[in-house]
Amino acid sequence: MAAVNGTPSSGDWPNRYFHVDQILDKPGPRTDPAFSAGPVVKDFLRNQCKILVIGAGGLGCEILANLALTGFKDIHVIDMDTIDISNLNRQFLFRPRDVGKPKANVAAEFVMKRVPGVKVTPYFGKIQDKGEDYYMQFQLVICGLDSVEARRWINATLFQMVDDDNPESTKPLIDGGTEGFRGQARVIIPNMTSCYECSLDMLNKPTAFPICTIANTPRLPEHCIEWASVLEWPRVHGDKKMDTDDPEHIGWLYEVALNRAKNFKIEGVTWSLTQGVVKNIIPAIASTNAIIAASCCNEAFKFATSSAAFLNNYFMMIGTDGVYSYTFEHQRRDDCPVCGGEELAVEIGKEWTVERLIEMLVERQNIQIKKPSLSSANGTKHIYFQAPPQLEAATRPNLEKKVFDLVGDAGDILVTSHSLPFSLNLRVSYV
Amino acid sequence: MSDSQDIETATTAIQTSQVAQPDSKTRRYDRQLRLWAATGQSSLESARILVCSGSATSTSVLKNLVLPGVGHFTILDAHVVTPEDAGNNFFLEGLDSVGKSRAEEAVRLLSELNDGVEGQANTANLDDILEKDPSYITSFSLVIAHNLPSSTLDRLATLLWSNTSFPPLIVIRSAGFLAEIFIQFHEHPIIDSHPETPASLRIDKPFPALLDHALKLDIENMDVIDHGNIPYVVILVRALEEWKASHNGSPPKTYEEKSEFKKGLLARKKKADEENFDEAAAQAYRVWTETTVPNEISKLFSDPGVTSLTPSSPAFFHLLKALQQFSSQPPHTLPLSSTLPDMKSDTASYVHLQKLYKARAEEEKLVFKSILKKNGAPVDDAIVDEFVKNAHGLKLLRGEKWGSLDADKNALSACLKGNTKETATHLALSALARIQAANPSVQPTEDDLRTAVLALIGGELPRSSSGEVIGESELEEAIGELARAPTADLPNTAAFLGGLVAQEAIKMITRQYVPVKGVCVVDLIGSWTGVVQP
Repeated sequence: MAAVNGTPSSGDWPNRYFHVDQILDKPGPRTDPAFSAGPVVKDFLRNQCKILVIGAGGLGCEILANLALTGFKDIHVIDMDTIDISNLNRQFLFRPRDVGKPKANVAAEFVMKRVPGVKVTPYFGKIQDKGEDYYMQFQLVICGLDSVEARRWINATLFQMVDDDNPESTKPLIDGGTEGFRGQARVIIPNMTSCYECSLDMLNKPTAFPICTIANTPRLPEHCIEWASVLEWPRVHGDKKMDTDDPEHIGWLYEVALNRAKNFKIEGVTWSLTQGVVKNIIPAIASTNAIIAASCCNEAFKFATSSAAFLNNYFMMIGTDGVYSYTFEHQRRDDCPVCGGEELAVEIGKEWTVERLIEMLVERQNIQIKKPSLSSANGTKHIYFQAPPQLEAATRPNLEKKVFDLVGDAGDILVTSHSLPFSLNLRVSYV
Repeated sequence: MSDSQDIETATTAIQTSQVAQPDSKTRRYDRQLRLWAATGQSSLESARILVCSGSATSTSVLKNLVLPGVGHFTILDAHVVTPEDAGNNFFLEGLDSVGKSRAEEAVRLLSELNDGVEGQANTANLDDILEKDPSYITSFSLVIAHNLPSSTLDRLATLLWSNTSFPPLIVIRSAGFLAEIFIQFHEHPIIDSHPETPASLRIDKPFPALLDHALKLDIENMDVIDHGNIPYVVILVRALEEWKASHNGSPPKTYEEKSEFKKGLLARKKKADEENFDEAAAQAYRVWTETTVPNEISKLFSDPGVTSLTPSSPAFFHLLKALQQFSSQPPHTLPLSSTLPDMKSDTASYVHLQKLYKARAEEEKLVFKSILKKNGAPVDDAIVDEFVKNAHGLKLLRGEKWGSLDADKNALSACLKGNTKETATHLALSALARIQAANPSVQPTEDDLRTAVLALIGGELPRSSSGEVIGESELEEAIGELARAPTADLPNTAAFLGGLVAQEAIKMITRQYVPVKGVCVVDLIGSWTGVVQP
């Protein structure tokens, strides 16, 4: 049953691909003329194409099943998480007995058992554990992630792999995301379309409560919960790390928050709200994941087979009030630090300290760099570095200094961050 | 729910009796309970769903209903699994399933997803049941049908339309990359539509306790800290009252007056950084936006369900009637909502304001309840609470019978002009169904499809005012795709529809959020969805 050149490959039976082959045997009105219907495209899809799925959660489970059924036979999957009971309302490859096991492994095993002849290779770990040589082996990458940071990392990594002399080095990235009844799927082709970094400002701003509200004037149950987790936990438990998956920890936070709420006559602190606030829980349901994962896999299928034009480049949908969707071409940003090439111009006050500039870099929608390190003169002059500790200590006094005094009028600043594999060139002007 | 979960729930309760830690069922459903809450979940768990056919699309839909915990599902399918089925359906086990009942295999594998859900396979023939035992079909709470032969589908739709108490029907038609769904229902009232816009705070029509509070506050002699903590609601009520006193009782009307009012708010600051006054200026529009009964709600008052109300009418219409009577009295608004948004303030001032709103909301609810009582319309208290709380987002959808659009050539023409690609795709799918009904074994050509489409719309495509033919290229694109893959139930299309239909089914069952009206068309080449609605 080993896969030999051509078809059929292992596990296949006559008419197995009756449905998909209707598409692969002939072109449609919107099919690119380069489409080679029949054995050639089937051979590529089933015997040659290697695809990577990042995330084996809500979207990942759906993506793996869809890819396997459409005929992708060599699928890899990365996920760093283990299975939790709250995953079972949508992550359909997992059962109660699987709670605690690595998602990637359980998902891979399930798909291989259910869809004969498909090879799914799991990796239980972080995407950052892998390097360019690993990512280079795939023709396509599909992301079903819930982390902005991880998406930025893979986006930038795939962009850096592009070698103009090697067309194979351009890896399309198909990215899906959901939140409740909303979701989006998009196709990112390095240097052709906008990239993930270009669209940072489209993200919803996370709710942040001012520390003085939490400490002094709580009004909402959320304020009491934040007080318990941000102020009381470290005060009472010192260096002991809070584990938001530990019911005892949540229980403690809940009681502390409830007590504070009682003192202030605030209603509405519940266990569920406590957990929601401290874990920043986003509602998630099977149906939205199914729609978005199907969109991602459909684009992967069209891309891998050229059987129809693929999405250019963004599909978003909202299912709360009827079925609303919007398909559009998201535009590249010339000052995108990953694909734009131009410096990002920022205006700051002449009296701004380095510390204030850093706050802005963390908060601004189109930048959002956590723990940025700053240097000037093409990176040769340190302004402030987050690590290593000696360098941090040495540059710490600069936090209080004015940016203007350090970089002057022609203010070019290089911003880097441990969590992001790229740097940002800031052109600072003063108002 | 099953016994095993009850035992687990019981032990969890003993272990952590000190705190309100959720039971295992709540933990399992946590991520969805945040969307539709316990009330929605309980509706879902009482629902009984019939799905006609065990196709890849049908099992995809069911997967997304079994996972969140629908009460019961039945797959009605007389077919045995073919090698073709085994290749595109995740809820069949490859060649092992071939030759077995498709309904039984799919039910077995879907049931693995959730112990709390009851699944049943029915291997009878749908046409036979329609003939001999239609009450079997109408005993479900929702019926879903994928790619049924059009004669069977028409009979099914006619049966379910024949009585307003019969279950809604979701029709799915798909071929290759193209598909559409349609929900057939008579009327669908929604109390909790989860509207994006919050209810009015009634700053322009302050209730007595609020007005009194705002006027009594000794703002002038307040210390700086308290001054910076007056909630913007109070600032606005006070400022409006003062404005009206010097403007013959009128609120700011012209652009100049509004600017002046806003400037006046900011001038009240004692310190430049008083955010509460900035908030007041930003929210000042509430002062001159009159709180009335929203248009969409007052339209409901003239719905036949209200105008020809009888004692046996559904509770929703009795509630609407009472709402109409309530809002016909001053101050001509909906009952007050007790929900206060967060605003810059200290705890005491905010909590005090919150109490005023809650107390008033409670009073108005009593007035509402007394109207209901006087009308002789007893409604469950929990429903009244829910209704009053969500009064600003009430919806009443009235649906159409499946096939009514295709029976109306003028409507089709109008739709083709307004939503060209959506309507062209719908027409092509209707044409395909007609051809397949006439001759199931023949592969339709593009010519066949084109002819069938033209027959549907009455001979020729409509023209624009400048004489151009509308929809020709869109139609050719849809027809071409259907001729390419007339019987393809593609895994990705099936998965997409599985999500879409389950989402609409959940909205219908929970009566939360708003289901789609009209024909919802999906094109997975262009990666778009759209709606055709006359």
